[in-house]
Amino acid sequence: MSTVPPGVVQGISPVEAMLAVGLLHEDEGRGVGVITFFRLSQLSRHHEGGDCKGTRLWRSSQKAVPRDNLCRSLAQHRKQVVDKTGSPWKSLETYSYNKYHPMEEIYQWMSQISEKHAEVVTQHFLGMTYEMRPMYYLKISQPSNNPKKIIWMDCGIHAREWIAPAFCQWFVKEILQNYTDNPRISRYLRNLDFYVLPVLNIDGYIYTWTTDRLWRKSRSSYNNGTCFGSDLNRNFNVSWCSKYCASQNCEDLTFCGTGPVSEPETKAVSSFVESKKEDILCFLTIHSYGQFILTPYGYTKNKPSNHEELIQVGQKAANALKAKHGTNYRVGSSADILYATSGSSRDWARDIGIPFSYTFELRDNGTYGFILPEVQVQPTCEEAMEAVLSILDDIYAKYWLSNTAGKVTSTTVLLSLLWLFTSLL
Amino acid sequence: MQPRGQLRSAPRPGPARPFAPPRALLPLLLLLLALRGAAATLKDPGTVDAPEPPSPGMLQQAARAALHFFNFRAGSPSALRVLDKVQEVGWQVDPTRGYQVNLVFSTQAYHLQDRERRLGRCSAQVLFKNQKPGPAVTVRCAPLPEKHMLREDRLLFKQLKQLKGALNVSSIPDDYGNIDPSLRPMWDLAVLGSSYVMWERTTQFLYYYPLRISSVKQWKTSDHAIDFDYIILLHEFPTQEIIPCHIHLIWYPGKWLKVSYHCEDMQTPEASSGTEEGSAVAPTDFSNF
Repeated sequence: MSTVPPGVVQGISPVEAMLAVGLLHEDEGRGVGVITFFRLSQLSRHHEGGDCKGTRLWRSSQKAVPRDNLCRSLAQHRKQVVDKTGSPWKSLETYSYNKYHPMEEIYQWMSQISEKHAEVVTQHFLGMTYEMRPMYYLKISQPSNNPKKIIWMDCGIHAREWIAPAFCQWFVKEILQNYTDNPRISRYLRNLDFYVLPVLNIDGYIYTWTTDRLWRKSRSSYNNGTCFGSDLNRNFNVSWCSKYCASQNCEDLTFCGTGPVSEPETKAVSSFVESKKEDILCFLTIHSYGQFILTPYGYTKNKPSNHEELIQVGQKAANALKAKHGTNYRVGSSADILYATSGSSRDWARDIGIPFSYTFELRDNGTYGFILPEVQVQPTCEEAMEAVLSILDDIYAKYWLSNTAGKVTSTTVLLSLLWLFTSLL
Repeated sequence: MQPRGQLRSAPRPGPARPFAPPRALLPLLLLLLALRGAAATLKDPGTVDAPEPPSPGMLQQAARAALHFFNFRAGSPSALRVLDKVQEVGWQVDPTRGYQVNLVFSTQAYHLQDRERRLGRCSAQVLFKNQKPGPAVTVRCAPLPEKHMLREDRLLFKQLKQLKGALNVSSIPDDYGNIDPSLRPMWDLAVLGSSYVMWERTTQFLYYYPLRISSVKQWKTSDHAIDFDYIILLHEFPTQEIIPCHIHLIWYPGKWLKVSYHCEDMQTPEASSGTEEGSAVAPTDFSNF
């Protein structure tokens, strides 16, 4: 193991910076050693337990500390941090899903959620951002013997679209509050696992809280630190950076990066999704604003093989959404009803074979735009939830109900033929 | 501009081809042409580069431009409308002039809490001029409760005159989308001014929404007008850029709306609307649609 320099994690207090810890651990069975830097307050029980074994730990003072001592002091420090701050919102019971939360609170929420619902939720490391922050997704999975298919949802690929991470948190909350006694949701968990990435562009999201509310891109540095950020939703490996669909100029807000999947955030998501693509049935990427449910593609006006079905399912979802609060969402391919884009995650997901791939553009449609009033968080999330549930219903019916129906039908046909045959004898 | 339902001129695809049908076929030809004219649109499918009907995106563009223009011409911050649904009624391409879209659309009140059940309805003709922004718009909307609007505007005017500390304003709305109730009239007035700018900048491909007032440069009120000088951030599609526009407007309910502006990405000097009389556009009969 090589010496690791102290992690550079911006946006934390100097005291916390001194207590930044680098953990070397295996990355999800890919056999890669990764150094992850955490503030001690971010460490959850999972990391304490699993990662303290067999790992070498450094303090930012670069002195190697005996393993057991550090694990104990990590646990102690964490407890101290929690006790000292003791603000009401730190408890999951008082966490408000009707408000926008800064990244620190979302990290805290993720670890608290996975602790409280440990029987179905686990927090997983996906990769590191440009500014060396850990990207986590939550896996919601009911233990069982049968193999599961996967629903993927990511939020906040564009930093200023605050309503999107709010929706990811809302979605997780709804599933967890209802999976035991709501038959509609509990049946999903019999055959499906949910993978939710609440904030994809963490560096950018933090930047919108600390510096510029309207920042969109990541925070990677170019041209000797004179230009920042790629549009992560132009950076995926699908018709990358084609003319009029993305920009090759770093100054622009649709800058596609220096190459397909050049950005660490894009790499983290696409490696993982690629590795699970056989099992992923649905890829949902949440944005704002505009009030759309968008299907592939943005990079061409051509349609995927299941375009009709995607539109049908999408339209049904938009109807379910509208029934909630009367909001109109339009359904169609990006190239048809919005504008041309290349390198988008949704198009990439479809092209690696994920059948149901949608972009949601949440409220509103121009009155407040990205700066959606907090008072609209709840109704926006409620109606979007109805849309997602509608899509899940259709997916569930297609893969787990129609099989049964199919068997019944073919059995009936066989019996009828037999009867016909015997009656002719 | 030809009335709806009648024959529209098909676009000429280059040098005119000589065409002399046999005399006996002429009446039949005329009949066929008349029948085609009765349909909503007329195109020449045989041409190599025949113009296409407006895409859903283009329709939205046209509707937005029409609505920005309507909001500006109405000159009423309390009567600002936003787009609901759009429907194409016809289209026409003239290579010398540009692409014209005829449409009807429904509208809602600007603020969510003000949304009545009954939607406003508009019909418009929008001509996107070749390569030039600021489409030519003819728009009519109904219903227009003019007296009600004027009353609301006068109330708003009073509130604005009483506003203290307007020059200290740094961000409307704040990062969480909140607007102090006392500042909402200022926001509405700012959006009204930006409607002119957004209409003028709209093309077939570029469109805008107002995001935030980032600063107030000047705020003068008198019995005769509100003189408001501010910077508003416009969100540009599809570039995703944020364009700061410095807008100076002078407004009096039912009488004056004068807007001049300079946006940070502009090469040309300041554009100005001159003095426009704020007046509501007369309602029209929608029974034909």
